[in-house]
Amino acid sequence: MTPRTRARLRPEFLATITATAAVVATMAVAAALLALGGHSPGEAFAALARGAFGTWDRFVSFTLVRATPLLLTGLAVAFAFRARVWNIGAEGQLHAGALAGVAVALVLPGAGAVLVLPVTLLAAAAAGALWASIPAAMKTGMGVGEVITTLLMNFVALFLAQFLVQGPLRESRGVFNQTDEIPAAAHLPALLPDTRLHLGFLFGVVIAVGLWLYLTRTPGGFRLRAAGASVKAAEVSGRFSVAPVIWLSFLVSGAIAGLAGWIQIAGVTHRMYEGLSPGWGYTAIAVALLARLHPLAVVVTAIVFGALSAGGGAMQREAGVPEVWVRGIEALVILAVLTADRIVQWTTHSRD
Amino acid sequence: MKLYPTTALLFVALSALQACGGDSSDAGAPDAASVTATRSVALLTSGPVSDAGWHAGAYEGLRWIGDSLGFRISHQQTRTPAEFDEAFISYAEAGYGLIFGHGFEYQDAASRAAEQYPDVTFVISSGSRPSANVVPLIFHLNEATYLAGMAAAAVSRAGVLGMVGGVEIPSAKGTFVAFEAGVRAVNPDATVLETFIGNWDDVSAAKEAAAAQLRQGADVLIHNVDAASFGFFQAVREAREGGREAWAFGMNRNQNDVAPDVIVGSAVIHIPAMFLRAARAWGAGTLSDEVLYSGIAAGAVDFVLNPAREGVIPDDVLAAIDRARAEIVAGTLQVPRIEFVEGEGGAGPEDPGVQGDPLPS
Repeated sequence: MTPRTRARLRPEFLATITATAAVVATMAVAAALLALGGHSPGEAFAALARGAFGTWDRFVSFTLVRATPLLLTGLAVAFAFRARVWNIGAEGQLHAGALAGVAVALVLPGAGAVLVLPVTLLAAAAAGALWASIPAAMKTGMGVGEVITTLLMNFVALFLAQFLVQGPLRESRGVFNQTDEIPAAAHLPALLPDTRLHLGFLFGVVIAVGLWLYLTRTPGGFRLRAAGASVKAAEVSGRFSVAPVIWLSFLVSGAIAGLAGWIQIAGVTHRMYEGLSPGWGYTAIAVALLARLHPLAVVVTAIVFGALSAGGGAMQREAGVPEVWVRGIEALVILAVLTADRIVQWTTHSRD
Repeated sequence: MKLYPTTALLFVALSALQACGGDSSDAGAPDAASVTATRSVALLTSGPVSDAGWHAGAYEGLRWIGDSLGFRISHQQTRTPAEFDEAFISYAEAGYGLIFGHGFEYQDAASRAAEQYPDVTFVISSGSRPSANVVPLIFHLNEATYLAGMAAAAVSRAGVLGMVGGVEIPSAKGTFVAFEAGVRAVNPDATVLETFIGNWDDVSAAKEAAAAQLRQGADVLIHNVDAASFGFFQAVREAREGGREAWAFGMNRNQNDVAPDVIVGSAVIHIPAMFLRAARAWGAGTLSDEVLYSGIAAGAVDFVLNPAREGVIPDDVLAAIDRARAEIVAGTLQVPRIEFVEGEGGAGPEDPGVQGDPLPS
């Protein structure tokens, strides 16, 4: 072993040790909190692990199903953030896509799956993109910051969804604030037989690979990364104009988030109702940042978040830990991973 | 590559979790066979059981089932229908034979799970679609809010009353329709305001809605929210502190202790008792696969005065309330309500299920 490789290895090693220590310390805090609340930490963490990975079916039917909306919205956020487009509006774009998908599925009751699935998916993507195009136009046309506009558009989408399921899209019985069930042709088929996992997860993985190839292998992707690295430098270079890049990242991001909403309905719930999302569009920001905006890493981080929420359910059921505690423990685990990640970044970059 | 350390660390964290679990997984794992040996009952709620109302009542019922029947119990709070499916499947596979879904929102997921697990019984509070092993449990809380409405009309000096609801669903709307009818039975000229805040748990939204009704001249308010009720009561309390004569009514659970200074009485569902009876019937194999209707006659709901505030209501109105209660029990007074069970298609006042007590006591 040459001295050079030894010098390269040592910080990595140090990083692993410190990061592991950070994870262990945070988990110890979580365990202490659980013990304080009168719950057995061992049992609670065992339930968490069992619920998320206990059996193949748990992993596929629970963890991956829960990861799917986070994967898609996470990709939407990661792609926009790569171009320094701070799209905080995945939640609203998700609702726009969900509404469009449901509306189209409900007006095509007799059509076969071959027609309904592509049409509804396109409608959802288009609606998400359309929802994102408003902040895009405000940013490129008037220089209005997208953090505010995308965030505010979320509330508009939520209230629009509420209005539609209470009014025009309300179930034909007219009793509950939800749409009719979508026709069977609009259901996303199972990805694996005898599991709850639907095609939506595969779409997410395919989109992740597609985005990665686009970002790393195409001139357009290069321009997007260049604009993301420094808008000024990109503009000054004069090689390309930045506005089309910003438009593209808004539209693609919105389209993917729109798909997330409809895929959740077509794959899992089969109808739209008030409160469809427990905030996936916001959790997506954490998913994307933890993956350092790398589309392939988003697949991993989305699964981690999916595992945490699926495991959290089991923690309630099997270890009797109340929901608020579970959410606190989940937050601590995410904090542990983030801390460890930061330590690795500092230690390995300090020599650059 | 920047990526590898991050990804590696994620797995460090995950394997740490697995490792933590490793030592106790034998003891903690629910073994299907041992679970079925003692009967097992699970409960799903879509809100916190600390709401001192709808969800708290259900959790109390679950504990009663554990304490008095010796059944193994478990509870999960769920947020989205994807989680409803997951929880139903998990409980069914872990050997739980009776699963309560406490709210209309569980109907779809229960119907799906019921087909997959025909041996498991699903009891859905305010459910709308009975099937072979899905049993809707309908509380006729409207009978109690009718009596509350009579009391409220007697207490109100302004003749303006307010109702603050959560989500505008039939079971909630029905309690308000009946409250208003009760008000009009005592004061036909009263004005009744109605607001739905769009969810069950937003404390500040409920407080705002109640404050707005108080500003519009209402002096007696009733709610039908869950955890948001704390904000509702706070608004009434603040109005009183501001020197106004204002009163509130509790809902779902006996809330007279939650804000004894402002609450005149509560429209109560005896959820724990009903859950216990349902579980007992299930244990004896006599829980029918029909809709379980339960009102005042069945001892499932009632209007309960706050002992600390008894003098507020005039004696003649108290007597009228007692007469109305007796007429409801006898079936001679039909309280307005909103029907939402499928197949019973908007059944009118003649619905024979109303007065019956379908559960063996």
